Amino acid sequence: MGALLELEHIGKNAGGGPGSWLFRDVNAVVAEPSIIHILGLSGQGKSTLLRIIGLLTPPDEGTVRLQARAAAEWVPEKWRSLVSYVAQHPVMLPGSVEENLRAVSRIHQQPFEARYARALMERVGLGELAWEKDASLLSGGEKQRVALVRTLLLRPRILLLDEVTASLDIHSQRAVEELLTHVHREDGVTLLWVTHHLEQARRLGDRIWFMAEKSLLEDAPAAAFFHSPRTEMARRFLQDGSMKEGQLHHV
Amino acid sequence: MSDWALWLTLVFVLIAVLLSLWQRIGLEREIVISTARTAVQLFAIGYVLQFVFHTDHPALILLLILMMIGVASWNAARRGKDLPAVIWPVAVTLSATELFTMALLLGLRIIAPTPQYLVPLSGMIIGNSMIVCGLFLSHMKREVEASRGEIETLLCLGANIRQAIQDVLKRSVKSSLIPTFDTMKTLGLVQLPGTMTGMIIAGANPLEAVRYQILIMFTFSASAVVSAVLLSLLSYKRWFTDQKMLRG
Repeated sequence: MGALLELEHIGKNAGGGPGSWLFRDVNAVVAEPSIIHILGLSGQGKSTLLRIIGLLTPPDEGTVRLQARAAAEWVPEKWRSLVSYVAQHPVMLPGSVEENLRAVSRIHQQPFEARYARALMERVGLGELAWEKDASLLSGGEKQRVALVRTLLLRPRILLLDEVTASLDIHSQRAVEELLTHVHREDGVTLLWVTHHLEQARRLGDRIWFMAEKSLLEDAPAAAFFHSPRTEMARRFLQDGSMKEGQLHHV
Repeated sequence: MSDWALWLTLVFVLIAVLLSLWQRIGLEREIVISTARTAVQLFAIGYVLQFVFHTDHPALILLLILMMIGVASWNAARRGKDLPAVIWPVAVTLSATELFTMALLLGLRIIAPTPQYLVPLSGMIIGNSMIVCGLFLSHMKREVEASRGEIETLLCLGANIRQAIQDVLKRSVKSSLIPTFDTMKTLGLVQLPGTMTGMIIAGANPLEAVRYQILIMFTFSASAVVSAVLLSLLSYKRWFTDQKMLRG
């Protein structure tokens, strides 16, 4: 059995011209279930990389492998059931909260795991939310959490999280973090997590992928990355980020 | 109609050109070209129809209908020009609609199998289906853009492309059919339709003209639904790449 996930020379060209590569030659291996935070300044292609892994955007070069089989060898639906992407601005499907939660069972024609759904909703602080409520009327933070629960009902092996806590208040953010670390610990779900919260990555991450200079500049254990980054670019990124978070904390 | 009367109809074109010049709309060239094309195309088809009716050979009728399907497919497919080879599902849809409608009309002995019925009715059915196909592709384009998030959310939950795009397909089929049924609702109240008008001008009894118009409108309603549903089924995969990613 090969690695869980492998990225081989992944490249994405944003405009089609030779000078418009968003990133190139991204190589990484996820050997075992882990929490990997993807860091980098805006515009480095972090979300695009997640979308490529989630089979939503085609790479312009390179191959993504899941359990040693290239994406092209997989039935896409099967891949996406194992590797599921949660967007920064989640979309609620038409209908009620319950209809959103039942989406997975409807799509896969399986019985609805009501108890599991209820437990997940409670874990993210939505235990009191009325399931018959129109999902389009939820607040941004509620939508994000319902979207996360909806995806977890799919029981994926890898979750691609695109700044999923960015729109949450600190209380909900902690609830979501706890849920995600719980599914990682208990069910062995790998989290590939794009974030701008350095403190979050430091606290929760096993590894860090640092994207800069149109590539994956560093792939290191979280502790090593935060303690002694290899590149000057990462050092500056951490300095600036820590300063900003320090100021926010102070405020 | 005498030749002189026909020449006199150019007065209407002249008025349009003069108005365009006076108001500096800049449409003179368009008006002249479209006038010339109308005259040339209609006379050409007039001579072709005369020849086909006179010869009364099934191969010629078939050839004429195939030409209509070809031109209509090309025209409707332009609405989906971002999609790969969408002309083929459109051509299959138009052919199947024509076949289905004609089979019913002939099978139920509603019309006689003569060129006088087959050619003009085929033209109208194919023309109407072409409009429905074009509308469907336009609506799909808009709907897919507007519902991109919804489609991708479903894909992320492991849905197949049919499940992911099902609601968008339904909405587009519905939108593409609304004009056909709206026209039927107001027929006779707002406008007198072409076939009926033509027959009355040519001296037919108005009630006889109405019967033919009803035949055409009922045929249109069925052929429109067949076209929209069939094209939706034949074309939805083209909105996705080979790896079932939404194009865009």
